[in-house]
Order: sequence, then structure tokens, then C-alpha cells
Amino acid sequence: MAHDREVLRMIWEGQIGICFQADRDEIVGIKPEPFYLMISRLSYLPLVTDKVRKYFTRYIAAEHQDGAVWFDFNGTPLRLHYPIGVLYDLLHPEDDCTPWCLTIHFSKFPEDTLVKLNSKELLESHYMSCLKEADVLKHRGLVISAMQKKDHNQLWLGLINDKFDQFWAVNRRLMEPYGDQESFKNLPVRFYTDDDFTYTQKLISPLSESGQKKNLADLMAELSTPVRKAVGCRTHGIDLHEETQLQWLSEHFSYPDNFLHLSIDYKAI
Amino acid sequence: MADSEDTQTSITSTNTITTPTPATDKDKSNLCILLNATGNVPIIKKRTWTVDPNKTVSWIQKFIHKYLKLDASEQIFLYVNQTFAPAPDQIIKNLYDCHGTNGKLVLYYCKNQAWG
Repeated sequence: MAHDREVLRMIWEGQIGICFQADRDEIVGIKPEPFYLMISRLSYLPLVTDKVRKYFTRYIAAEHQDGAVWFDFNGTPLRLHYPIGVLYDLLHPEDDCTPWCLTIHFSKFPEDTLVKLNSKELLESHYMSCLKEADVLKHRGLVISAMQKKDHNQLWLGLINDKFDQFWAVNRRLMEPYGDQESFKNLPVRFYTDDDFTYTQKLISPLSESGQKKNLADLMAELSTPVRKAVGCRTHGIDLHEETQLQWLSEHFSYPDNFLHLSIDYKAI
Repeated sequence: MADSEDTQTSITSTNTITTPTPATDKDKSNLCILLNATGNVPIIKKRTWTVDPNKTVSWIQKFIHKYLKLDASEQIFLYVNQTFAPAPDQIIKNLYDCHGTNGKLVLYYCKNQAWG
């Protein structure tokens, strides 16, 4: 049960400073000043950039103004359906404290590289699918299938309107073991390495075979191979302590999509 | 299904009645998927296929779309075990490792949204 409310609040309130600039090839006339914005780590780019789009539309050619919007960082197109915090932790240099500089584009959407999940409706659909998959892993899908449509709506609305209480009123049911179980069956987790967007998913149980609660050190041992050792784990910009229990981590550090998104550092053996 | 002009296709069919195609080193890492039709969609008779683990959901969707010769305006929706729709850029290996049963990943395909 996710009872460390203070921790949940801190995670919820995590923000990133972003500096948006226009695509030089799309500007017509005066070059616009960059647009600065504090954005929630937990949200998705298409949901929080209406203001950014409106601001830059005036400076670009008319034929592009209704185009599909996308963003890049140093030439890397950003996946619109990944939580912003995940993108940031993957790409932004760790010791760099300046705002994250992104370029907004209104044309030439890279269809081959980016999935076009760029509207509220498409993102909501994607978000619900993430929740379902997470629940399948945790509870065989039993908790989410017992919820009504209005509960699903409340999760989505809580997320997009930044309403912590509204969101967690429903999410706490997804963050509890089912019935009289001690823990989740398996943990919804996505592992990232370096700055690669393609993550790995594996079946990870929160308990060892003997029924003991596993911690991060146990997980890193599972991820290690004869050629490389997992030596560090980060999420939400935080280096995690290896004694952190996995069940607790899943309950408190998951993104609103109910997945843990962990960046793993490896050392060659 | 190894078309002569399509030698780059890494999706092959395993017909359970005849002898399996000879396994190459590449085939050994291929994963077994089961394609089930649901709703108002033509049925692909061969249900069992083997796929490169790094192929994406989107690749499978395009394969089904092409195989069924669907109209460009028609879409293929894919579901894992009748429970959730994976993201188009998700890789088959992740789905297999987390949701595979009895050595197979079971996928349902349809032309409309089925399980939300």
C-alpha cells in the first residue's frame, strides 16, 4: 500500500525547466525569443505544450501552422508518448543545470522514427493501455477490470489537470496488492540503458523464491550478466539506494502509467 | 512464406502439419507468436509464426495489413492476450518475456478497437 504520502507528493511535484526554440527553417520574418516553461516530469509533451505551440505559430510560415508538432533535442526526435521525466533523464546531461533546450517543429514529422501519438485522445488511449498492461503484471488485470469507466476517467483527468488527490483516490487501488496477497505478482518496470529509447521489460517478482522481499541490489544482480555488471539505478533524476525494496519502489516511484522507468548503469567486467 | 522477391522478410510461418523449416542460427533466437482474428476481420489461416525478437508491434501490424490486402484507410489493432493494446514501437521480445505463455506470445488482431 502506497502509504508514504510525502514521497508520492514529491514525485508528483517533480518539474523540469525547458527552453523551447523554433526551427530556423520554419521561421518567417523576425526570429522569436525562446519560450521558457516549467513542466511536470510526469506528463507528456503534447499535453503541456499548447502555450508553446500558440507562441511560436505566429513566427512560422502559414502553410506549416496546422502541421503535426514534434520536438527534438540535439537532433534526436522525442517520443511523444514517453513521460517527460523519462526523456529528460535519458538525454539531458546529468551535471547540466541549465534549462533543457528543445526545438519545436511544425513540419516534416518523422513518421519513420516517431509514433504519432500526438493528440489528447491518442495519448489517453495509450495511457490506458499502459495501465492495463501494468495491472496485468501486478494483479492479473483484476483490479483495473473491476473499475468503472468513470474511475479510468478520473485517473486521466487527475493527471492532465495536475490533481494529486483526485488521481491518487483511484490510483491507490492499483498500488495495493490484490486481496490478501503480500505484494504484486510481478512489477511493471521498463529498463533503459545509456540514451537509448528502446527499453527492456522482463518479469520481475518483488519476492525471492523463498518469499523474502527483494531490494534493488537483488534486481541489479538479476540484470547483471557475465560481461557486464549493473552498478547504478536512477529514476526521477534520483540515484536509488540499493537497499530500496522493490515492492515499495513500485508503489511509490512509478510514473502515473504505473510503470517504473529505471535507467541502469552498467560496468563492463 | 519465404517469397523469392522478399528475402529480407524475417517472419516465417511454421506449418504444424509439415516438417519445420531448417533452423539457422538466426531462427534459433526467433520468437513464436500466435495470431488470432477477432471481430469482423479476415482470418489468416496460418496462426503460428516466428519473428525476430527486435521487431516492433508496428511491423506486425503492417505485416497483417499487407497479408490481408487491406485498404489504406483500414487499420489493424493488436492486443496481447485480449487484455491491452501495446504501443506501436514496443518490441516483441518485451511482450514475449512478460506476457508469453507456453513458449508463445498470443496476439489478437482486428479492424476495430476491441478491448479499449
